[in-house]
Amino acid sequence: MSILSLAMLALLQQPAPAAPQSLPASPVTRIVVQPAARTVTAGDSLQLSAQALDASGQRIGNAVIRFQPTGGEGQAGIDSTGKIIASSVGKIPINVVALVPGTRPKFEAIEIRILPGPAARIDVQTPVGKIVVGQQLRLSALPFSAVNDRSHDEIRWTSSTPAVARVDADGMLSALAPGRAVITAAAGTAKATIPVQVLAATITSVAIAPVKPRARQGDVIRFSVSARGAGGAAVTGLTPTWTVSPGNGVIEADGSFVGYEPGDYLVTANLGARSASTIVRLEERDVRRSVSVVGRLPRTKFPTSEVWIHPNGTVAYLGTHGGGDRVYTIDISNPATPVIVDSIVANTRLVNDMMTTPDGNYMVFTREGAADRKNGIVIADTHDPLHPKEIAHFTEGVTAGVHSAYVHQQAKYGTHVYLTNDGTGAIHVIDINDPKNPKQVSEFRTARPDAARYVHDIDLHDGLLYASYWNDGLVILDVGNGVKGGSPDKPVLVSQFKYDLDSLYREVEQVSAPGFDRGTHTAWRQRGGKYVFIGDEVYRNGNVQGAKDAAANRMYGTLQVIDVSDLSRPRSVAWYKPENGGVHNYWVVADTLYMGAYDGGFRVFDISGELKGDLRAQGREIASLNTADLQGNVANAAFTWGVVVNPKDGLAYVNDFNNGLWIVRVNPKARPIVP
Amino acid sequence: MRAIIRIVRTSATTRPIATSAGLVVGVLVAAAGGCAPRAADHATRLGVPARPSDATPSVTGMPRLAGAAYHVLVASEGVDRIAHIRFEPGCATVPCARVTAESRIGRNPAEPAGPHGLAVSPDRRHYYVTTAHGFPNGELWKYTLAGDSLKGTVKLGAFPATLQVSPDGAYAWVVNFNLHGDMVPSSVSVVYLEDMLEVARIRTCTMPHGSRLTADGSRHYSACMMDDVLIEIDTKTMAVSRHFMVAAGGEHGMGGPPRQHGAAHGAGHGMETPKSGDAGCSPTWAQPNADGSRIYVACSKSSDVVEIDGRSWALRRRIPMGPGVYNLALTSDGSRLVATNKRGQSVSIVDVATGRELARIPTTRRIPSGVALSADDRYAFVTLEGIGAEPGTVEIIDLVTLKSVASVDVGQMAGGIDFWKMEPTG
Repeated sequence: MSILSLAMLALLQQPAPAAPQSLPASPVTRIVVQPAARTVTAGDSLQLSAQALDASGQRIGNAVIRFQPTGGEGQAGIDSTGKIIASSVGKIPINVVALVPGTRPKFEAIEIRILPGPAARIDVQTPVGKIVVGQQLRLSALPFSAVNDRSHDEIRWTSSTPAVARVDADGMLSALAPGRAVITAAAGTAKATIPVQVLAATITSVAIAPVKPRARQGDVIRFSVSARGAGGAAVTGLTPTWTVSPGNGVIEADGSFVGYEPGDYLVTANLGARSASTIVRLEERDVRRSVSVVGRLPRTKFPTSEVWIHPNGTVAYLGTHGGGDRVYTIDISNPATPVIVDSIVANTRLVNDMMTTPDGNYMVFTREGAADRKNGIVIADTHDPLHPKEIAHFTEGVTAGVHSAYVHQQAKYGTHVYLTNDGTGAIHVIDINDPKNPKQVSEFRTARPDAARYVHDIDLHDGLLYASYWNDGLVILDVGNGVKGGSPDKPVLVSQFKYDLDSLYREVEQVSAPGFDRGTHTAWRQRGGKYVFIGDEVYRNGNVQGAKDAAANRMYGTLQVIDVSDLSRPRSVAWYKPENGGVHNYWVVADTLYMGAYDGGFRVFDISGELKGDLRAQGREIASLNTADLQGNVANAAFTWGVVVNPKDGLAYVNDFNNGLWIVRVNPKARPIVP
Repeated sequence: MRAIIRIVRTSATTRPIATSAGLVVGVLVAAAGGCAPRAADHATRLGVPARPSDATPSVTGMPRLAGAAYHVLVASEGVDRIAHIRFEPGCATVPCARVTAESRIGRNPAEPAGPHGLAVSPDRRHYYVTTAHGFPNGELWKYTLAGDSLKGTVKLGAFPATLQVSPDGAYAWVVNFNLHGDMVPSSVSVVYLEDMLEVARIRTCTMPHGSRLTADGSRHYSACMMDDVLIEIDTKTMAVSRHFMVAAGGEHGMGGPPRQHGAAHGAGHGMETPKSGDAGCSPTWAQPNADGSRIYVACSKSSDVVEIDGRSWALRRRIPMGPGVYNLALTSDGSRLVATNKRGQSVSIVDVATGRELARIPTTRRIPSGVALSADDRYAFVTLEGIGAEPGTVEIIDLVTLKSVASVDVGQMAGGIDFWKMEPTG
């Protein structure tokens, strides 16, 4: 080695240069932020201001102040001047930064709470007819703001005639004397009234029906009472006070009961001096079943995204993620040996969603991550289902990316694609009656800043569009149903169901930080419009401290059952919250819900009958499968994306992000062997 | 991801490409034009102390470091991966370029993070990555180079793209490209890196793209694709000081920020061939020379580079380049301009003094994107995005022999790249 080389080697082996000197300390010692009250009402705006002070408390004139959110942007639009346009209930962590040129910036971390507005309406939860002297009944009412958030206002209860019916601050109604009274629930300027008739305590007999019912965990039993007065005459229209013991079950004011655990429950109806009770015997729901993996198609070249089954039931389409530029076409005529036959390749690196027209002749799939960054959708001819051919694409206004697309056909309007815009959170409606020439006919956006709006998924039935609108909750649009005069080219808002995501996922804030990303992710309408199942996607705000990467994170989520029997008043009636894992995509067939639960694997639930309360506690989980693979794209880790059930074979086609396609049979219950 | 080493056809025979020490000795192209950087500046780039002259200068007159391996970091936007690449010229065994480590970036594998820009701190202790795909805003991530440990993040604007760390290591300058939604003016973010605080978000123009600081860090230049304008920011005041219109025939500079122009051109990220008669520039990169006396702006639409006098703020000339010239890098002395030609699937090396294209080297994969030069100005490391499922590639070009000497595949949509370090081999 030459001297020169040795010298060079010595130079290369020098340590890295020292870290740059820190800038001089800031003269700012304190930042005073106004207003001192760090709250704003959802739907309102707030202007923050701040002053930078030196050690002597004097304002530093040349300090540049700016406001920088560190989370929660989906809940509000925030600019550097401190202007906050609050859109959703939640928390916005903000760093208030004071920079004196040439010195280190000084910052103060503050948190703005976005609170629901004052009550604009009150929904009475306890219908009351007649009650009886001596009876006590707990009333319930919920206040909602003008923008449909659950208001924090306390309900103030008053009675028009306290001598007849007295109500206390907790809504406890006491029937004191025969007569009539009007009970008022008030919050802010909103009011709701409940007319009450109090009968004399002349009830001679009370009976409950059904008597000694037997049912299973999770079955909803609707109890009623029959009562007779003096002389044996029937007394109708009574509202008894229902109680149940022990716990592990609930009974609503309308007498609907659901028990979570097997065993005996005592249900009592009280009418003042008279009561009646009955025993309810609940057996195990006994829905647990095994599963069999019928077939598998591991994919490791790309992560796997959505799966879709062609209407002919013999062809599956499987999307690719994380650099994937194609949709595989898979022959599933023999589900035990699914075979990739072809693929359709597009200018994309993520095919998140796909769907065929009802006749199966065309398929639409989404594009994100295009090489030229002009994203959108592809329309393919699938007359030959195993060999789709691109015939058109649509990019206008949606080049930021399309995450989800739904194809819907209406006799009156023909076929349209409803797609989500990654950039603006808008829903675009594209007419594909001429599939080779798609054209946009309308666009819908919720009322909030673009930067704070996100729409993830769309479900559509009977001209009603159910949009999973992230921080805007479930948004129902009329796109042809007629209930609000809507059509594809004129979507009209029908109603909206919002809920307090911060409250629901307090745990996520506790284990990470405020301002975590979360929102309504998926919606599925079921039973002719009685229920909509909505699911949330929830991430931590930041990775686990000290962890190498996001692999140490877990997903969160909740499935809620929304009763939309009254389209104008959607209400949550039941829920499922996984102990581990998230709630991603799901599929419903009759009384069974199939779910891809991300790191929680594949899960199947019994959703038969009326749904009420905590579905997990009711033993409604039928089956589960850990869709992991030691040779998977990520070894030994399930990340179950979703599922489609093939009507042709009844099998669940489960797509796992890490591990490709699983074809799963939920086995019938084993029959007892009779020797 | 498994690294794939390409075999490059060089002449009649096909062999693995590996530079040999003998190949480069004696090849010297005198530095011409521009201003040679001070030795201390160059030493900082090298990551070694300033030192006396070496007997084997490189193309720019800087000493060539024999027996060194070169390390770069690359971001693959399509697959949320960061690759560490080691290139050893003249290595005894192939591959001479390989991926030595890979890491993932993002919060949830099912939601793309989209790492786009990448920069190594001057002290080589940290690297920084912009992630472009958020809800909708993106972030800047800070990692240690030793141990590859995440140290912090800060949320920025929509689609944060190109970034650079200031020479003192205190700040990162990031353009918020804003590919999402409506065509509206966007911004340049300034982040104080010790605490990961965004201390300024300076409104500039529509789709600000490739940006670079002067060597002393006093001025920042970025180009706005949709407004045909170059923006100069005074880094002391963190305000737009001047702007320059770069469309052919209308070149002129003015003080202060530009008026808001309509976004006349459709998005295409340098991929669309201009229509006949279109004199637009669609600038995708701004590169000052070391002392800021020249600023070079890549016009992806007109396929040329606009050279602007940084002092008089006047047009000097337009230098013809390859189709869809996209990103630029300049040797330390300002004598060689290296450019990726996005539509032309090639890399151009231009002698700045004469404006002559010394070589146009076809790339092995489509969509050449980023380019970073080794600290000794000997090699250009070029990212090739590829299309669809094609892997990304880092192609290594010898700036002396003007040939591609090695390549290594990385994750899809390889874009952001920065030089990390040189280290002795053996």
